[in-house]
Amino acid sequence: MNGFSPALCAHIQRVREWGRAEVRPAGLEADRSGAPLPADHPYFAKYMGFRREHLPALEDDSVPEGPAVRMVAFNEENAYWDRGMGVAAPGPGLPSRIVATSGTPDQRERFLGPFRGTDQPRWGSFALTEPGGGSDTAAFRTRATRTDRGYLLNGAKCFIGNAARADWVLVQANLDPEKGRAGQRAFFVQHGNRGMTGIKIEKKMGLRAYESVSFILEDCEVPHENILGGERPAQASRSGAYAETMGTLNTTRVGVAASAVGMARSAYDEALGFAKASGAIRTARVRDRLEAMHRQLRAAWLMTLRAAWKADRKIPNIVDASMAKVFAAETAQDLASAGMEIVGLEAGAGHHLVEKLFRDAKALNIVEGTGQIQRIIMGRSLVGLPR
Amino acid sequence: MDFAQSESDDIIAETIGRFAVDELRPRLREFEAARSVSKAVRDSYAMLGFEGFDLPEDAGGAGLGMLSRIRTNRLLAEADAGAALALDRFAPAVYVIEAFGGIAALKSFEAMLGRPDSRFALVMDDGAGISSGARVEGEAAWVPATHADVLVGLGPHGAWVLQEGFAFEPVAGAALHAAGASRVRYTGAPIHAWHDPALAARALAKIRLYYASLIWGVLTDAAGFSRTYALDRVAFGKPIAHHQALAFLIVDMYVAVERVGLLIEDAARAIDAADDRAVGAAAAAFVDAVEASRFVGSNGVQILGGHGFMRDFPVEKAMRDARALGLLAGGCDAAREDAGAALAAIPLRAVA
Repeated sequence: MNGFSPALCAHIQRVREWGRAEVRPAGLEADRSGAPLPADHPYFAKYMGFRREHLPALEDDSVPEGPAVRMVAFNEENAYWDRGMGVAAPGPGLPSRIVATSGTPDQRERFLGPFRGTDQPRWGSFALTEPGGGSDTAAFRTRATRTDRGYLLNGAKCFIGNAARADWVLVQANLDPEKGRAGQRAFFVQHGNRGMTGIKIEKKMGLRAYESVSFILEDCEVPHENILGGERPAQASRSGAYAETMGTLNTTRVGVAASAVGMARSAYDEALGFAKASGAIRTARVRDRLEAMHRQLRAAWLMTLRAAWKADRKIPNIVDASMAKVFAAETAQDLASAGMEIVGLEAGAGHHLVEKLFRDAKALNIVEGTGQIQRIIMGRSLVGLPR
Repeated sequence: MDFAQSESDDIIAETIGRFAVDELRPRLREFEAARSVSKAVRDSYAMLGFEGFDLPEDAGGAGLGMLSRIRTNRLLAEADAGAALALDRFAPAVYVIEAFGGIAALKSFEAMLGRPDSRFALVMDDGAGISSGARVEGEAAWVPATHADVLVGLGPHGAWVLQEGFAFEPVAGAALHAAGASRVRYTGAPIHAWHDPALAARALAKIRLYYASLIWGVLTDAAGFSRTYALDRVAFGKPIAHHQALAFLIVDMYVAVERVGLLIEDAARAIDAADDRAVGAAAAAFVDAVEASRFVGSNGVQILGGHGFMRDFPVEKAMRDARALGLLAGGCDAAREDAGAALAAIPLRAVA
């Protein structure tokens, strides 16, 4: 159905088996307890084994698909079983690519090295969002001040994934507010660093399996060598390190779309399974609803796949990526809601997976650029919408 | 999944695209008023060598397949969907003959396929599937054509072919005027009659995709034209496209058209690969095109405001054409039913 190579299909099949056996139950456990699984939960140790054995699939030369298509294939399958557990997975996470591309050799060794060749679950984290600025990154107020001993960070960050359990959090702060976004740099704040206070693990509607953390930076001092990329002169480009960071986020947008598709497929399968088991499938009303769900799901997947396919061929895909992100996220919401309609009061009872998906899916249209931001990005390309 | 277009499709797209822009688009209203495409333009199209290009090579076609067909239809319909229908003398009726009778049946029409003025027309007949030798009788209130030499009937259980015993009576027609508009009455003994629901479904899949791709073209034009207009038209000191309410609407129209295109191409690939999901995918693509036409067609007019309502601009025609195309191939509700039945693994049309 997806036209993937046998080699990639084989890898996806292993992710599927792992997802069915481990990820789904762990996600449900976290959801029902209302909190992320603790860092020492046996799941994470098992995950490290799975990761050691199967994650090299992403670099498997026998897989002919490009890296972006592989990423969306894995993300889709992972999120089908539990999106929250995917975010909770140990590893350097989102900032790994930023550190790999923008970090100094010493930083790559110090901050990414410990993640290699270990069976010990450990996490990295990336802190961008602030209470007063989500999509409007120019409104960020966290400041960095250079001193003789290092940098003092002051401000607040919120909704930061895995930040309480992370070995380090890469914090975005403005070193030169007069330059606006161009003054932004990123700083490694290590676990237990004095001045990182008020750590609060948020209570969420959905995606409860991973920590969303808010914290305050109060004269939080980090050494000079903890500024990402080192103490180089100001970037020649207009927006400097900010552009580097946002560039990385752009590449992950299609991955988020794929996760949304996986969640949507999960909702569809739950609804279809229920309709078949209950006999509701015999009514035209339910079949029509399922047909519309399936059609939307297929379109979302094709959009996502095409955006990734273009990325692998270096074909400009800004519009495709934003389109996939917004459409897939809205599809996940739509299908989870329609799925609840089909499952009916069983969904209302609060124990059905489709109800959890309904709560989980909403976040996908908010994270990494809301649906409105994606439309603005598309509007800039399609009609030259002014900045 | 390969989203690339083949080299031959690139060449076809370039040739057809140029023909559509140069020959069809400037004569949009002229064809509409005349209720036909001029002979000069028909000859010019025939010279390009694309007539019947998706028919099997053994039957005198180029055997280019459904993916090439839908991409061609889109380009033609972007200029004028009515003209696209007028220029195609064979499809989608011959898909039925090919599905049931194969090359042998197509070859029996070889002389007619080669005649420059011959035409095949299609009607949907829910009673189709008669035994050989029986008579067929009925009428179709609207067929987007002025005449035909061969009339093909298709229903959920089978199909028939009439070479005489039918009459085309002109009607006003809601849209697609370049193709003409007729009520067709038929009564006669078919020269071919087949009963096979599976083959009927296969033929219907191609027919649905054929019309869906014309809708795709119309919607591409409606979205593109209104977007260009919105960049030119200034209100409150800036192009109306830069007011966020309209910018978002234009973005959503773009997404709707892309969505339709992806589903149509996906279904075409499934048909060309003889994939089991082709029937359901084609039905779903048709439904999606019809649903999108309500949103894109209507908002194409909306963006132009009062101008959109006037015949000076093509968006009102796009709105009507897209709506009318969705009535063909048995309509949207039947397609929705078939797509839903395919998902539920229920025999087609076997459910209430």
